[in-house]
Amino acid sequence: MKKNGMWSLKINTASLVLIPAAVGINYLGKLFASALKLPLWLDSIGTMLSALLAGPVVGAVCGALNNIIYGFQDPISFVYAVTSAGIGVAAGVLGYKGWFGSLGRAIVSSLIIGAVAVVISTPLNVIFWGGQTGNIWGDAVYAAAAAGGMPMFISSLLDEVVVDFPDKLVTVLIVFGIYKALPKRLALLFSNSETVEKLD
Amino acid sequence: MKSITLYSEKNTPIHLLQPMTKALYTMVAILSPLLFGSWRISLAVILLNVLALSAGQVLRKTAPLVGLSLVILISVVIIQGMFRQGNSESLFSLGVITFYREGMRYAVGIVLNVINIILSFSILILTTKPSDLVEAFVRAGLPPKLGYVLGSVFQIVPQMSESMKAITDAQRSRGMETEGKLLTRVKAFFPLISPVVMNSLITTKERAIALEVRGFSATGSRTFLSEPKRRSLDKIIKIALLVVLAGAVAWRMRLWLI
Repeated sequence: MKKNGMWSLKINTASLVLIPAAVGINYLGKLFASALKLPLWLDSIGTMLSALLAGPVVGAVCGALNNIIYGFQDPISFVYAVTSAGIGVAAGVLGYKGWFGSLGRAIVSSLIIGAVAVVISTPLNVIFWGGQTGNIWGDAVYAAAAAGGMPMFISSLLDEVVVDFPDKLVTVLIVFGIYKALPKRLALLFSNSETVEKLD
Repeated sequence: MKSITLYSEKNTPIHLLQPMTKALYTMVAILSPLLFGSWRISLAVILLNVLALSAGQVLRKTAPLVGLSLVILISVVIIQGMFRQGNSESLFSLGVITFYREGMRYAVGIVLNVINIILSFSILILTTKPSDLVEAFVRAGLPPKLGYVLGSVFQIVPQMSESMKAITDAQRSRGMETEGKLLTRVKAFFPLISPVVMNSLITTKERAIALEVRGFSATGSRTFLSEPKRRSLDKIIKIALLVVLAGAVAWRMRLWLI
C-alpha cells in the first residue's frame, strides 16, 4: 500500500460525509455546554475529532464550514471561520505527528492549539471589536490591562488567552477520551493515509 | 423539526433576486465602508440595508441577530470610552467614571461597522433559501461534492438536535445529575456528548456507503434539477455593485498614493 501525505487533497467519501457530522457535533457540544451552564464554549469538539480522524485538510474545511453555518444564526461568526480552520489544521497536524498518543502529549497539543487560536483571533478581535472577545472574564482582563496602560494589542492578546486556553484544554481532553475509545474499524474508515489496492 | 436557518418563504422583490446577486451585495456592503473609511458611508449603507430588509419584509427578524451582539457592543462602548489609549478629552462623567471623546468616537465606529455587517448578512441569509445559495455556488464553480457537504449540514444538524433531547432524557432516567455544582455539570457533559459522537460516526459510515452506491464519486459533469432564472435586473445590480467596489478600491489606492 502506498502512503498518501497528510496534506493530500484527495478526500474519500467517508471523510467528506464526516464533515457535516462533525459540524453537528460542534453544534451539540455548544448546546450541551450552554444547557449545563458551563463557562466554556466547547464548540470545536467535532472539528478536532474530524482533524484527528481524517487529517488537517478535512479539519480545516470542517472548522471553516462550521462558522459559515453558524453565520446563518449569528453573522459575526463568519469572521472567525479563519480561527476555526486554524484549529482544525493544528489538531490534524498534531494528530498525524502522534501528539495525541498519550494524555501528557495531548495536554501539550492543547496548548499549541490554544496558541494557534489566540494568534489568529487577536487581530480579528482588534479589527472588529477594538480588541474585546465578549466573554466576561476575558473582557475584565482586557479592561484591567487597558486601564494599566498596556497597548491595545497586548490587552487583547491577554483577553483571548484567558478565554481560549481553558476552553481548548477541556476540548482536547474530551476529544482525547473519545478518540481513544473509538473502535478501530470506525477510525480506519476515515483514514486517507493509505490507498486501497484495486484488483481490476 | 426545527430548522437551523432563519430563512422564511416570501414573495418579495428581494426574495426573487438571484442568490449570487445578494451574495455580491453583502460583500460590497461590508467592504465599501471599510475601504472608504468614513462613518458617513457606514451610516448610508446601514440605511440602504434597512430599506432592503423592509422591502423583503424581514426587518423584524433582524432584531434577535442584532440583539445577540448587543451585550458585546455595549461593553465595547464602556471599555473603549473609559480606557482607550490616547483618551484625553473628557466627553461626560457619571460620578467617578469619565467617558472620553476619542474612545467614544472609536467605539461608535466599531458599533456602526458591526451593525452594518450583521444587516448586510441578514439580507442574504433571511431572504435566500440555503439550498438555492449552495446551488448557485456550485453553478459558479464550487465542486459538487463540497456543495453536497454544505447542503447536508442543514439537514444533519436539526436531526442531531432531535437526538440530543432523546439522549438527555435517557441519561436522566439513569440518574444522571445535570444541575448543581460546576463539577457535577462538567461530569454530566461526557455521558451526553459521547453517544452523539458514536452515533453520528456510525451514521456517517452508512451514509457514505449509500452515497457511493448512487455514484457520488462518479466522474463527468453534473446536471442541475432546475434551470437558472436569468433576469436583466440581476445583471444590472451586479454591474452596479462591481462599479461601486471598483470605486471604493480606487479611493483607497488614491489615499495610499498621495
